[in-house]
Amino acid sequence: MRISIKLSAALLALSAAPLAIAEKAFDKEVAAEERGVVEVSNTSGMVEISGWDRHEVSVHGDLDDGVERVDVTSEAGRTLIKVVLPGHSFHGGEARLHIKVPKDSELHLTTVSADAIVSGVNGAQRVNAVSGDVTTEIAAGNLELKTVSGDIKIKGHGQPAQLRVTTVSGDVHLEHGAGDLETTTVSGTLVVSLDTARSVHARTTSGDMHFDARMTRGSTFEASTVSGDVNVRASAEGGYAYEVSTFSGDISDCFGGPKAEKGIVGHSLSGSRGEGAGQMRLKTMSGDVQLCDRT
Amino acid sequence: MTGPKEHRVKSLAELPEAIEPPRDLWPGIEARLKAQVAVSGTGASPARARLGQLRWLAAAAMVASVAVGVWIGRDVVPLSAPVPNLAQATAPQVTPAQQAAAVDAAFVSDPRYARQRAELLQSLQARLDAMPQPARAKVTASLAAIETAKKDLESALGKDPSNALLQELLINTYQDEMRALTDVHEASDPGRGI
Repeated sequence: MRISIKLSAALLALSAAPLAIAEKAFDKEVAAEERGVVEVSNTSGMVEISGWDRHEVSVHGDLDDGVERVDVTSEAGRTLIKVVLPGHSFHGGEARLHIKVPKDSELHLTTVSADAIVSGVNGAQRVNAVSGDVTTEIAAGNLELKTVSGDIKIKGHGQPAQLRVTTVSGDVHLEHGAGDLETTTVSGTLVVSLDTARSVHARTTSGDMHFDARMTRGSTFEASTVSGDVNVRASAEGGYAYEVSTFSGDISDCFGGPKAEKGIVGHSLSGSRGEGAGQMRLKTMSGDVQLCDRT
Repeated sequence: MTGPKEHRVKSLAELPEAIEPPRDLWPGIEARLKAQVAVSGTGASPARARLGQLRWLAAAAMVASVAVGVWIGRDVVPLSAPVPNLAQATAPQVTPAQQAAAVDAAFVSDPRYARQRAELLQSLQARLDAMPQPARAKVTASLAAIETAKKDLESALGKDPSNALLQELLINTYQDEMRALTDVHEASDPGRGI
């Protein structure tokens, strides 16, 4: 008798399991302004956002049972899409959202562990994630992107913009960026290619940095790290004056001039390329530095 | 406005090549130097003996002043924030261990900084526990990297207290620590996001 009860309970649990992860579909479309603001928040799962030519926001979602509902509202040029979990829970409740927005929209996206993929959105983007990875395509709109541990991939098209990218432990990959870049990570790796940069300010604690950049005339490039290695290949219209200093790392360059000067403590290298119109400053404590102006 | 008796100098050539002091100053200087040597007993002047301490005081003062700037920049404290108490930051007799802590002390002597950092650290474990496990591991490793960087920089500053590069990197690291702690704190607050 006891065995049959246990078996029944087990069968009941097994039959209920698929129901627990069953997904429900969600679809909604609302009118939106051509250059309005679209705000999206999702805790876990995934968010895929793409720009289109219509003046509408379309939301398709696959929601698991942990999701209470998805709120979609549009008013006064502002469209809100919010995944609501029961009791404002912080955990669980996966939603996979596929969202289409007017391509010139300004986008505000917040996730916790949900990964985000953004493409074809030309307006400014403000993206915050905790552990979710973020992949985004940018145009001329400014970008402010912040994660705690999520990795970041940014694909630009060489259109100048202000780019602020911050993460605690995520890696940052940026390709075909342009304009002004300010990026910081503690232990993540920075891999950056810039088509035409006016200014670069980069900092890590232990993460390595790799830059491949074409700088504009009179541009500024500053990078510092405590223990990461710095590898910069940067050319600039009008050249640049450079100052490289490290406490215990090594310095190498492709300039063929005098080698880094070794002081009582630390190494330093300075000089000028071309007209010296721009400025390049690289600093480390123990990381090695490589500098070259051939990209 | 110049008085009628003043002679206006129109070129450097009009200036005298040397100006003799009204009296011979050397005997007084010599007497004071001899007195200092006699007091020290070893020939080393007290001023020189304090040089190492002063270097640390200078390093700590520089970092402290920039730290205040950092704070002001972060809007953590208002513009009327008190300057860190450097008297507490540097001990009269500087040992190697105290040297390594001198710059750190310049930061933590600011009560608002100390209070905010303590609050963030107090809630850190709970905030980390609220994160998915892989994220928690990555963030923990990053915070450990910051701690290692701080220790390495302080150790290097112990060898070269006036090194501006190390001072700047240490300040950066303190800033990054606060930013990371704040981001972790806000990240696990579902109402706010980071």
